[in-house]
Amino acid sequence: MAHSHTHDGHAHDALKAGHDHAHGRADHAHDHKPSFFVRWLFSTNHKDIGTLYLIFAIMAGIIGGAMSGLMRWELAEPGIQVLNAFVPTGTEAEAEHFYNVLITYHGLIMIFFMVMPALIGGFGNWFVPIMIGAPDMAFPRMNNISFWLYGASGILLTLSIFAPAYQTYTGFAGGWVLYPPLSSNTGHPGPAMDLLILSLHLAGASSILGAINFITTIFNMRAPGMTLHKMPLFAWAVLVTAFLLVLSLPVLAGAITMLLTDRNFNTAFFDPSAGGDPILFQHLFWFFGHPEVYILILPAFGIISHIVSTFSKKPIFGYLGMAYAMVAIGFVGFIVWAHHMYTVGLSVDMKAYFVAATMVIAVPTGIKIFSWIATMWGGSIEFKTPMLWAVGFIFLFTVGGVTGVVLANAGVDHYLHDTYYVVAHFHYVLSLGAVFGIFAAWYYWFAKMTGKMYREWLGKLHFWVMFAGVNLIFFPQHFLGLQGMPRRYIDYPLAFAEWNYWSSVGYAVTLVGMVIFAITMFDAFFIYRKKAPANPWGEGATTLEWTLPSPPPFHQFNELPRFDKGDAHAFH
Amino acid sequence: MKRLIGGIAGGLVALGAAFAQDSGWNGPKDGDVGMLPAASKLAEEVHFFHNGVLMPIITIISVFVLALLLYVVFRYNVKSNPVPRKFSHNTLVEVIWTGVPILILLVIAFFSFDLLYKEDVIPDGKQIVARGDGATTDFPFANDFPASRTAAAPKHVQVFKGTAAGAEGLVHGRDYTLEGLGSATVTVKFAAAPAAGETVVIRAGRSLVGAGAAKEIALAPTMTLKAVGYQWGWSYAYPDFGDFEFVSNMLPEDKTTPELYRFDVDNRVVVPVGETIRIVTTARDVIHAFALPNFAIKIDAVPGRINETWFKADREGVFFGQCSEICGVRHSAMPIAVEVVSRPKFEAWVDSQRAQAGLEPMFGAAREKFAAADAAAAQ
Repeated sequence: MAHSHTHDGHAHDALKAGHDHAHGRADHAHDHKPSFFVRWLFSTNHKDIGTLYLIFAIMAGIIGGAMSGLMRWELAEPGIQVLNAFVPTGTEAEAEHFYNVLITYHGLIMIFFMVMPALIGGFGNWFVPIMIGAPDMAFPRMNNISFWLYGASGILLTLSIFAPAYQTYTGFAGGWVLYPPLSSNTGHPGPAMDLLILSLHLAGASSILGAINFITTIFNMRAPGMTLHKMPLFAWAVLVTAFLLVLSLPVLAGAITMLLTDRNFNTAFFDPSAGGDPILFQHLFWFFGHPEVYILILPAFGIISHIVSTFSKKPIFGYLGMAYAMVAIGFVGFIVWAHHMYTVGLSVDMKAYFVAATMVIAVPTGIKIFSWIATMWGGSIEFKTPMLWAVGFIFLFTVGGVTGVVLANAGVDHYLHDTYYVVAHFHYVLSLGAVFGIFAAWYYWFAKMTGKMYREWLGKLHFWVMFAGVNLIFFPQHFLGLQGMPRRYIDYPLAFAEWNYWSSVGYAVTLVGMVIFAITMFDAFFIYRKKAPANPWGEGATTLEWTLPSPPPFHQFNELPRFDKGDAHAFH
Repeated sequence: MKRLIGGIAGGLVALGAAFAQDSGWNGPKDGDVGMLPAASKLAEEVHFFHNGVLMPIITIISVFVLALLLYVVFRYNVKSNPVPRKFSHNTLVEVIWTGVPILILLVIAFFSFDLLYKEDVIPDGKQIVARGDGATTDFPFANDFPASRTAAAPKHVQVFKGTAAGAEGLVHGRDYTLEGLGSATVTVKFAAAPAAGETVVIRAGRSLVGAGAAKEIALAPTMTLKAVGYQWGWSYAYPDFGDFEFVSNMLPEDKTTPELYRFDVDNRVVVPVGETIRIVTTARDVIHAFALPNFAIKIDAVPGRINETWFKADREGVFFGQCSEICGVRHSAMPIAVEVVSRPKFEAWVDSQRAQAGLEPMFGAAREKFAAADAAAAQ
C-alpha cells in the first residue's frame, strides 16, 4: 500500500508520471501483441499467464465443487443411495470406494489446482509485478514453464482418477494426506497412486519455480525508491508465501518420492514390517502440510488489506505490523506441524510443545484481524461488492480461527480429532476464508483485468446467497463433530441425520450462489458490456495498478515509476 | 474463583449426567449440538475445559469481533461519515491487542497442559485398604513411586471411610494429618481412631482427575485391553485373563435396530466399572483409530507400533465409538462397542470367554479353590 501511507498528494503526482508513460507505451504495445497461439501457449507475459492460471483455477474449482456436490448429495440422508448409481458395478463397496475417491480428489483439487493457482498463479502473477512497478516477472520463460507444468500435473491427476487403485476400483481413495500404508502397496497397489505422486511432483516443481520467480522479482525489480517497507501488502503476502513454498514443497517431494520407491523399488521407508515407520511420512507430510495452509491463506490476507483500505478510503492501519505479522505466521507455521498428529502416539512432552507453539499463531492472526477493523475505523466506507466479501472474510476467518484455538489443545483434540469439527474448522478458514479472499480479489480486480464492469447488484446478490449457503453447510458440522461424527464417512448412524441434512441444504444454496456468479460474469462480458475506467474505486485505490488503464497495456512501465523523489515515500 | 469454577463445572457435569441417565443412551441424539455425555472423571474434565473455558472464550471473541464490525459498518459507512480520517497508527491499541490475546492464551494453557498430562500419562495411583480397630490412629503406606511421582503434598493423598472409595466417604483433610510426605513411608494420622470394623481406604498418586470439587486420584490400571485394527473390524484380547481373543464386526443393517446401525457390533468389548483400563492398540494392515467419545479418548492403531491410552468408566452402560482414521473402503463400517458392567458380571463374562478359548475358569468357585490352595501352601 505504498500510497495509502502518504499523508499528502505528492505521491499521486509521482504516480501520475507512471500513468502517463503507461498510456504512451500502451498505444505502442497494442500493435505488437503476438498471435493467438504464441500469445496463449508460449506466453511469457505475466498478465496473460495470470489469466491462464485463473482460467485453470475456475475449471478446477468447478470440478472440485461438483465433487463436493456428490458428497453432500450422498450425505443428505443416512444410507448409501446416491453414489452407487455413479459407479460401474453399482455395488455398495464400490460406492464406498468412490466416496473416498471424492474426498481425496476434492481436497487435492481445491488446494493444489484451485486456491493456489488462483491466488498465487493468477492474482500474484497479474498484480505483484504491477504493484511493485515492474514491467514483468524476473524470469518470464520460467513463468511459462510453471504454468504448463501445472497443466501436465492436472492431466496426471485426472488420469489417476481413472487408473486402477484397489481391486477393480479406480482412483486413489486414501484422503489428500496420502498416509501410508493406505497409500502404499498394502492399501492401494494399483498405478493410480503412482500417477498421483507424479502429479504432485509436477505441481510441486511448478510451485517451486513460481516461488523462485516471485522472490527474485520482488527482491530485484521493485521500482526505484520502493523499499521493502513501502511495498504493498499483497506483494508482501506473496513474498512470504513464496518462501513457504520454496522451503516446504521439497519436503513433500522427498516424502512422496520415498513413497514412490516404497511402492516400486522395494524400499521400506514407511513399511513397518521391514523396519520403516508410517509415522515418519506423517511428520514429513505435515512439515509441508502446515505451511501449505498458510500458503493458501496468506495471499488472501494481502488482498483483504488492499480492499479494506480502498473502500474505507484510509491507509492500512499498522502497515509494518501487518507485514511482519505475516512473516511471523509464516515462520511459526513451520514449527507447529505435529498438531495434526496428536493421536498418532506422540510423547506427551512433544504434544505439550506443539500445543504451545500452535497457540502462539493466534497472536499475529489477532493483530491482522484487529488491524483490518482499525483500518475501517474512522473511514468512509463504501460497501461495494469486494468490500462485502472482505468484511465477510474477516468475520468468518475469525470463527474459523477460534475453533483452531480449540483444536490446538491436544487434551480436547483427542475428542475432536478426525471428526466433523475439524472439517468445519478448516472449511471456515479455507472455503469461507481463502475462497472469500479469491472472490473479493476477483470482484476487486475484475474491471482492471478485463476492462469491463459487472453489475454491482448481481455481485452483491452473489455474496449474500453464498454467505448464507456456506455458513449453512459448515456451521452445523461443528455440532456433528461435537456429537462425535467421524470425517470421511459415506454413511452414518441415524442420530447424525438432522445436521447432515441441513449441511446438504446449504450446499444447494451455495450452488445457487455459484449460478448467480456465472450469470454475473456472463452479463458483464456479453450483456452489460460497460467499459471500466482506470480506477473505478476512487480516492481509496492507491496502488500502482489503478494508475494503468483497464485492462492494462500488454507491457507496462517501460519507464519505471519512481518512489525516490519528493514525499512519495512518506508513509508513517 | 476456585469455587466459581467448581460451581460451573459441577453444573455442567450434572447437566451431562442428567442427560445421560434420562434414557441410558450415551450416543449422539439427532439435532443435538454438544459433546456426548461424559462417562469418566477425565471426560468430565474435558467437558469442563471445552464447555466451561474454551467455548465462553471463543464465543466472546467472535461476538466481540462481530460487534466491532457491525459498529464500523453503521458508524463509518460513507453516509454516516463522508470524510475519512487518515490515522494509521496507535501504539497503545496495538500493544493491547497483542498483549490481551497472550493473556487469554495463558489462561487456556493453564488448563490445557494440566488436562493433557492427565490424559497422556497412564495413572499410577495406588489404593490401600485397612480396617479400623477402634484404637489405631496411624495408617502408614509405602510411598514407593518413581522419584517424580511420589506423594509429596496433601493433595496427593485422599482418605475415605466406609465401604466404597466414593466421594461420599471422603474424609475431610482436617480430620487427619499426613506425616512423611515425600519420604519412603507416609502415615495417615487420624485425630480420632476409626471405629472397629470400619474400612479405611487410602489413595495416593499424582494424577488428580475430575472437574471442579469432585476430583479423584486416578489409580493404576487393573487390566489391559488389546485392540487390533484391521480392514475392516477390530480384534480384542485380554492379556491379563489368559489372552483370550475375539473379533468384533459391525452388525449388518438387518441384524440390528435402525438407531444402532453403524454403532453396534456382534461381539462387544466388556470391561468392569470403576477400574482403570489400559488400552494398547496396533493395526495389522493400515492405520485405524480407536475412539470412545464418552471417555474422550482417541488413539491411532498404527501397524508396527503399540500406542496406549486409558479410561475409567464411572457408570455401567454401553458406549460406542467409530474408527477415526481413514482406512479404505469400509472405513465407516468398523465401530467400537464397549459394555461397562459390574465386577461380578465382568468376571462371569471373562470365564465364559475363557471357556470358549478352552481355558479353565478364573473366578467364582475357581477363585475360592485357588485361594484355598494358596492358604494350604502358606501353612
